[in-house]
Amino acid sequence: MSKLKIRELLKKRIVLLDGATGTELYKRGMPAGACPESWCLENPGIIKSLHADYLASGSDIVYACTFTANRKKLSYYKIKDVISLNQRLVLLARQAVGNKALVAGDIAGTGEFIKPFGNLDFEQAVDIYKEQVKGLLLGGVDLFVIETMIDIQEARAALIAVKELSDKFTIVTMTYEKAGRTLNGNDPLSALTTLQSLGADAVGANCSTGPEDMCKIISKIKPYATVPLVAKPNAGMPELVNNKAVFNLKPAEFALAAKRLVSLGVNLIGGCCGTTPEHIAGLKRKLLTVKPLVSKIKAVSALSSARRTFVFAGQKNPLIIGEKINPTGKKDFQRELAKGDFSSAIRLAKEQESQGAEVLDLNLGVGGTDEKKLMLSALSLLSVSTSLPLVIDSANPEVIEEALRFYPGRALINSISGEKKRLKKLLNLAKKYGAMFIILPITGKKIPETFKERKKIIEMIYKEAVKAGLTKDDFLVDGLVMPLSWSSKAASTTLEVIGWCSKQLKVKTVAGLSNVSFGLPQRRLVNRVFLKMAKACGLTAAIADPQDKQPLNNRLAENLLLGKDKDSRKFIAVYSRIKPLAKEKVRKEVSEPRVQVYQAIIEGNRSQVNSLIDKALSPKLKAQELLEKNMIPAMVAVGELFQVRQYFLPQLIASAETMQRGVFHLQPYLKKKTAGRSKKGVVLLATVKGDIHDIGKNIVALVLKNYGFEVIDLGKDISAEKIIAKAKFHSPDIVGLSALMTTTMVQMPLVILAAKKEGLGCKFMVGGAVVNKTYADSIGAEYAKDSIAAVKVAEKIGRRRGRP
Amino acid sequence: MDKLHFFDQINIEIPFETIYSRLGYRQGITRLTGRQKEEIDSYINEAARLLRLKGVGRRAEIIGRKPKALELSGGVIFESSLLVSVFPNVSELLLIGATSGSGIITAIENCQKQDLTRGVVFDAVASETVDLCLDWICDYFNRLLKRENKQLTAKRISCGYSDFQLENQKIFYEFLELAKLDVSLNDECMLKPEKSVTAVVGVMEVK
Repeated sequence: MSKLKIRELLKKRIVLLDGATGTELYKRGMPAGACPESWCLENPGIIKSLHADYLASGSDIVYACTFTANRKKLSYYKIKDVISLNQRLVLLARQAVGNKALVAGDIAGTGEFIKPFGNLDFEQAVDIYKEQVKGLLLGGVDLFVIETMIDIQEARAALIAVKELSDKFTIVTMTYEKAGRTLNGNDPLSALTTLQSLGADAVGANCSTGPEDMCKIISKIKPYATVPLVAKPNAGMPELVNNKAVFNLKPAEFALAAKRLVSLGVNLIGGCCGTTPEHIAGLKRKLLTVKPLVSKIKAVSALSSARRTFVFAGQKNPLIIGEKINPTGKKDFQRELAKGDFSSAIRLAKEQESQGAEVLDLNLGVGGTDEKKLMLSALSLLSVSTSLPLVIDSANPEVIEEALRFYPGRALINSISGEKKRLKKLLNLAKKYGAMFIILPITGKKIPETFKERKKIIEMIYKEAVKAGLTKDDFLVDGLVMPLSWSSKAASTTLEVIGWCSKQLKVKTVAGLSNVSFGLPQRRLVNRVFLKMAKACGLTAAIADPQDKQPLNNRLAENLLLGKDKDSRKFIAVYSRIKPLAKEKVRKEVSEPRVQVYQAIIEGNRSQVNSLIDKALSPKLKAQELLEKNMIPAMVAVGELFQVRQYFLPQLIASAETMQRGVFHLQPYLKKKTAGRSKKGVVLLATVKGDIHDIGKNIVALVLKNYGFEVIDLGKDISAEKIIAKAKFHSPDIVGLSALMTTTMVQMPLVILAAKKEGLGCKFMVGGAVVNKTYADSIGAEYAKDSIAAVKVAEKIGRRRGRP
Repeated sequence: MDKLHFFDQINIEIPFETIYSRLGYRQGITRLTGRQKEEIDSYINEAARLLRLKGVGRRAEIIGRKPKALELSGGVIFESSLLVSVFPNVSELLLIGATSGSGIITAIENCQKQDLTRGVVFDAVASETVDLCLDWICDYFNRLLKRENKQLTAKRISCGYSDFQLENQKIFYEFLELAKLDVSLNDECMLKPEKSVTAVVGVMEVK
């Protein structure tokens, strides 16, 4: 059946898929661990009866039993003839259903991850799927189903393989976990955006969840779906009964829940694990009279990565496309890229994401390098280090082609200009890989200076795009920003283009913001004012430094940008004298400085504590008094807050670190005899031999110091001999030992025993994940469950030993 | 005995809630200012960028069962009555391992003296995410097992629990070829990088 006929059918009614194959085959005698594909060939009657049962139940489409019939999976069973096996399984399905149902070639995962998540090359994956597709085509499939995908990149590889060998209707369904993402982190909207733009004819979800959870996925994606939606849920979630997993949703309940899926916009529906021909018959009865919700959207303006989507839908402010991953004029960055070092690219991606960019421009044009190779490596790294969709920015169509093929999302091409050959090639690439693109109003090398010239080019490219099957929703028009130093009309012409595009042509626009201010003082100011003016003209997106994202009012800059300031004289005259804006004046605190010191410790304000101490110290308030009356009470209060759980660990440590900094800062001002603070006791700390975990011990050390103890920290992995030697030397009141593992806690009694042998008078305190009070008692030590408990124990021991 | 399944880049959502909870945060009790929350969240995000989560899994048939030991294909013997009692009806086990990578550990170590607050948060992020990696690996294997009408048991056991001695870590280390994940094992059976974990799960048939 042709693609068109399936589409027509979908407009008329809900199309029924089949139910589970795997669980049904097991019921019908397939032994656990068997290769389903070869078992079906050995038992053709059983698979044919299953297909026939689904046909009798009402399935319009049955899936040939070729789920794992790819080279990688079949190699587990040492099966090599992939093409013939697929062909024969399709023929069995055809024999079972004849022309009364459509036969889909079923394609699923290879069991391996594509780079960078695994070792499989993307093109290798495409090749593996092409081999399977060839067999399915030889068998005479009516359509293809790519299903149970957990990684968008593998789904893309399979879809590209199908599209490059056939024009048949292709369904792609991903498998989402309960949290709403695939195992590899892909969300439903990004998957939909990527797959429908890449040419999938229907998109949806199968397996993993029951119909109820699948409703959430369908409602999320329906508003953005240009293609029919598919759902193939399990018969509920498996439950353990007598130590066996059982799918509990009966046919009638399943049908009822499935009806809700249809009401939310599902056009093709069937069942996955645990469903049976009875479940499909139930669906048929329930959905007989239900009209499909056909998507009215023809195209969606959206960009996607593997994990995030940006939909162009009436944003209040222009979208900021981070411009910084571009080596032009950055020599260090160029050198790095030439060496294949992408650390700056990754850093810039993360930095711009944290500064609020929503999409990132990726330009790796460095003379003398293999740009294609650089682009693919960068895409591979950036696809895991940022979730933002990317703009493929290159002057080389071959680089763009490779990038679009590999990129696991819907990218934006920057840019397509009017040179005929290049234009045709790039428009075809945009169509094939479903990318959005930027129209650059240039033909040849000459920059069109006037609005009229630019308008003509835009109209020509737009016309060609429509011819290539693309729509207004697939592109943005670049207003073509030139520096004001190039022409005083540079900005106003760009604004005119933006205004015409948004108001007359009704298309989206973009501008490379910072170009306008090249050579001027106060570039950030000019950029932000320009952004404000472009926004007023209807600008959709700005390729900019995300730090410039706030539009700004400034009359001088506005006049400059409107070409009213001849040769930029007034602007330069004023702004070349002005230094960068002074930092905002810090609000004057009304409370007393000594209270602020107290508060800084309570709040763990490490950065300001020393300046607050300086402010607080005066002839009236000496260091000793500040310490004893404000700082120590603050730390005591923090301990109390921690004990009643109003504070948690990071707050306790932040306060302790603040206190530590403050005390260190105060040292020169404290009286000599108390410079080390009154000693509550000396504690020797160590993590025992063989144990490398010492973060807990370090926390204890920090907090003990803050409570007035002198702490000698020996570190981690310390032998009993060394602990004893140090204890002899320092004569501590307490030796604190820490261990995290059962294999290392046995070192604790060895230390204690050795100390007794040596006649040391110190007490022992122990702690760590595997240590408890019973164990501490058994080895003759005190137990401290955390740092505050350690303080209490140490104080108790100290008091017994006559310490203050 | 199954082949080894290596996962070079495990992609998971950072579990902010469980990280807070691990650090002692109690909903409705712990009080946090906006500045403190912002600081802790920024450390969590920073830690997330330092993670390089990798993992491995391998199935092994149970070929011998004694009251206090399980013998697996590939010459592995686990001596533990706990293991025998937790996996009574399973025919095979899945051994899994995951690591946070060394970048985060170096960062934690660098924070120990001067910036312990950051270090403690980093530590919690690494611990929680590496645990989530084991969940992720189990989910992955559940998908493969489904085709064989099998699934993993809900219970998962790690060395060091009850009588499943930490010394078994040596078996995991070799069986899972953890060296290929840049993980090493010291004489006390501790894995390095410090945030590396292993576990065993049962594989059972689905009705």
